[in-house]
Amino acid sequence: MKLYISLVVGLLFMTSQAQETFTLSGYLKDAMSGESLWGANIILGPTTGTVTNEYGFYSITLEKGTYTVTFSSLGHKTITKEIVLDQNLKLNFDLVEDVNTMDEIVVTSTKANRAVKSTEMSVSTIKAETIKKLPTGMGEVDILKSIQLLPGVSSVNEGSSGFNVRGGSTDQNLVLLDEATIYNASHLLGFFSVFNADAIKDVKLYKGGIPSLYGGRLSSVLDIRQREGNLKEFKGELGIGLISSRALLQGPINKGDNEEGKGSYLIAGRRSYIDVFAPLSEDLEDTKLYFYDMNLKMNYNLNDTNRLYLSGYLGKDRFAIEDVFGNTYGNTSATLRWTSQLSDKLFFQTSAIYSDYDYEVELLTSGSEFSWKSSILNYNLKPRLRWYVSPGNTLTSGVDFTYYNFNPGEIAPINNSSTTAEKFQEKFAIEIAPYLDFETKISDNLSLHYGLRWSNFQRIGKENIATYANGTPLTYNSTLDLFDENEAIGETSYESGDVIESFNNLEPRASLRYLLNETTSLKASYNRNYQYLHLISNTTSATPLDIWAPSGPYLKPQSSDQYAVGLFKTLKNNDYDFSVEAYYKDLRNITDFVDGADLLFQENIETQVVQGNGRAYGLELQFNKNVGKLTGWLSYTLARSERKVIGINNNEYYPSNNDQTHELSLTGIYKFNNRWDFGGNFVYGSGKPVTYPTGKFEQNGLLVADYDGRNGDRLPAFHRLDLSATLNPKEGKNGTWIFSLGNVYNRKNASTIFFRERTEEMNNIDVPTGQTEASKFSFLGIVPSITYEFKF
Amino acid sequence: MKTITKQYKLIVFLCISILTISCETDVTDDITIAESTPKLVINGGLERNITSPLATQQIRLTTTINFLSNEPNPPVTDATVSITDGTETWVFSHQGDGYYANAMMPVLDKTYTITIEWNGETYEGADPLNEAPTFTNFYTEFEEETIFFTGGYFIKFDSQDPADIENYYYYRVVKDGEYFIIPDAGNSFNLITSDKFFDGQMRSGVTLNREITFEPGELATGQQLGISEEYFDYLFELFTQTGSSGGFGGNPPPATIRSNVINLTTPSNRAVGYFYSVDVEEGSVVVEE
Repeated sequence: MKLYISLVVGLLFMTSQAQETFTLSGYLKDAMSGESLWGANIILGPTTGTVTNEYGFYSITLEKGTYTVTFSSLGHKTITKEIVLDQNLKLNFDLVEDVNTMDEIVVTSTKANRAVKSTEMSVSTIKAETIKKLPTGMGEVDILKSIQLLPGVSSVNEGSSGFNVRGGSTDQNLVLLDEATIYNASHLLGFFSVFNADAIKDVKLYKGGIPSLYGGRLSSVLDIRQREGNLKEFKGELGIGLISSRALLQGPINKGDNEEGKGSYLIAGRRSYIDVFAPLSEDLEDTKLYFYDMNLKMNYNLNDTNRLYLSGYLGKDRFAIEDVFGNTYGNTSATLRWTSQLSDKLFFQTSAIYSDYDYEVELLTSGSEFSWKSSILNYNLKPRLRWYVSPGNTLTSGVDFTYYNFNPGEIAPINNSSTTAEKFQEKFAIEIAPYLDFETKISDNLSLHYGLRWSNFQRIGKENIATYANGTPLTYNSTLDLFDENEAIGETSYESGDVIESFNNLEPRASLRYLLNETTSLKASYNRNYQYLHLISNTTSATPLDIWAPSGPYLKPQSSDQYAVGLFKTLKNNDYDFSVEAYYKDLRNITDFVDGADLLFQENIETQVVQGNGRAYGLELQFNKNVGKLTGWLSYTLARSERKVIGINNNEYYPSNNDQTHELSLTGIYKFNNRWDFGGNFVYGSGKPVTYPTGKFEQNGLLVADYDGRNGDRLPAFHRLDLSATLNPKEGKNGTWIFSLGNVYNRKNASTIFFRERTEEMNNIDVPTGQTEASKFSFLGIVPSITYEFKF
Repeated sequence: MKTITKQYKLIVFLCISILTISCETDVTDDITIAESTPKLVINGGLERNITSPLATQQIRLTTTINFLSNEPNPPVTDATVSITDGTETWVFSHQGDGYYANAMMPVLDKTYTITIEWNGETYEGADPLNEAPTFTNFYTEFEEETIFFTGGYFIKFDSQDPADIENYYYYRVVKDGEYFIIPDAGNSFNLITSDKFFDGQMRSGVTLNREITFEPGELATGQQLGISEEYFDYLFELFTQTGSSGGFGGNPPPATIRSNVINLTTPSNRAVGYFYSVDVEEGSVVVEE
């Protein structure tokens, strides 16, 4: 903490200035809805300018003089203004939507030249509006599936909302909804994401060059912001689809006779109705299967400089078969944020956040019915101060406080069954992470963005920690090449608040941009990240069975170093842009399972998990066409992701489950006329690693497979084409039809290939034949869907 | 409580299959499997059975072959096999087709160690023989068909689990004079269980096997085996792998199920299969309407 304070104080004194300067500041909003504009550009010259923050605020301090300022935001008409800066100036603008460019899409929501000029790299921003124009594949607009079309991002499985970034696993993605951590971002076991696109404004994905403002995950940060609601008038939207229907209401608060309310609200809900059709099939009569979610956002202007935001999310999945099984899971989050413009140059915000993920399984086998509950809960406090020192120089500092409560499992009998009740010990942790982040313009060509995050993670009581013979839960037996479980010889008791184990780590982050000319830049970045939570999962995609385990005496924090370089270029006056990036990642203490790991109902998870190292490297290309009737992008990724864990694959490197050598995606949107839009995307990915059996033998009357090594084989290549057509309403009319066709040429992509003994049916029982077979399992054929949207 | 994982996955898999337009294609002819060196396979163990004692104890030895080959596993006919309880040693002699046998009688609470000499290498493995509690009631009962299970007469039993002892159970069904087993996703919860959640409890009305039904007039024989924790772990893996329907979301990368028989000469040249010592509680009943 001392180091942190002295850094801040040092910086405050460092920046005394000689010349007479004044500050231009203000807010930019959308003229129609009053929503604040994030990432809008304020340009005062070829190399002088700034962008608005998440709340539409900008601030730039310049020498006294006369300037021509342009305010621009994608999809809006640009405002140009001559200003005389001889005093501090406040300029607020409402930018009017530009109808001509409305249907153009750009992957980055800011103008293409910003991609060249910004110090950010490995970052993609997509507007929810763009996502809605893309084919859905499965009939639901899905943010997480849209980001899978970006280079370096791949899907864990066909149709899955789970994603891997630069060879990392799904638990290495930090998914934030209005700053609240979402622990399971999938509905219906991964087929749909929990984010209702109607309620979302912007999505920003950091694959690398992660600023020190974020921490806690190794591979990526997905920062999702909800819409704030219409400040000017009451509006509603309805969407009816084959999978679900949704509704959204928004409007001003305390408007009175003014043009704008003092605040606004937005409330959105969505519910699936597959189960509504279930009674039609006799087999599914007793089945329950649905999800719903609700999004809430409110904001209120206390005065010109102070604003309050309230944001909430509630999602639930329920899946049950009468007398057999039941499963409920969901995320709940709430964020209360206060932003305050302390001065023209100082912007303060603080958020108090609640986030909870819980799930429950009920097994209703007669005689041994029981329920199993588990949850992870956290509270955050995130104060942050941003100081707009001078043009190109910004300092951000803050602290993230987090309190965690893990409830790994609680078993309770149902219907007085013979199952005995049991509750695993709860686990507690706190994390304190102060950070500093600087953006500095060294020269007209060179800009730096660097920072430092200090993360302190403490496992605290009350908890009893098992002690093991030899001091560790597992000992590697090199003769047999396997792990021996050591006997638990006792317990150490920690009282509430006692520190069980404390980790302190420094996480330096830096990125650099060098402008070669007006249209070309070179960038380089480095970041070190630590991750203190581990997702102990027995499948590759996110499922409700996932268990989050905190670092502690027997589970070390994971860490990574990532190095990346890139070239960014715009062509033909920003009509096209192009980028190429190369990265290398070095990962430590990645968790993997011992052979034959038993994860469920396992209190001492450390006896089932081993930690090893990994490395990932790759090359990513992206080409965007930004204007015209046809817009879209092409992306290609060449990558490798490997692990090395003692006891696995003869202690040699093996491809990680997410290793995909080639991935290509082509996405296009074509505006045919005022009424028809067409969208399409084609994805090709080379096969992911699998382990095929080599030998076979018999045991207890069953044929058993024998394996050599891990992930030594590859699934066949994956490819599919999705198309969509949107029929927009006639002028002055309402109602939009969206037709979508997923997997147009009905490709049967292999989800897995599995090997088994062939069986034959005899007297209603499948009897083994002694013969073996290989079988390919594929999820989805062609999926047609229709959605109708209505706005009022 | 490993059993729950599989049941859950089975259900998830089934429902997802119904939900989505999923499909399965036979690709046996499109797949080429890498050739590997044959490994020694141990199949069998010692069984103490008071109800119907075995005349001889026997173990079968073979070697592994390519997974997609449709040939039988080649028998190992030239090995030297012996089993010891620490004081006494029994030599198991080759009877033909890879079977090695001896008329010894295993007893409770002993740990039996097998030693196999083959191809100039020595393999060794051990398993303790744990008592299986008796059936206090053994009968059949008719159950209607449900989504997951066929209808018919099922074996049911009552049994008292001994308190304060970790017990592991394995259930076998004898039908038409033969052990009956099918590769099924339910096996790892259907055929084995630990007493983790019913330690010391009286268990009544437990269905011995939820897949195998009997007709009125048939002789239904069921066995409750007392097994070691290691054997339970082995069987859990075995049933998980052989019952794997592969489908949903990808499973953890499979690995060879580790044998309890170790190659002392060249540890990396591993054997597969489990040498077990079990106690068998057996019940039989003729199904009545």
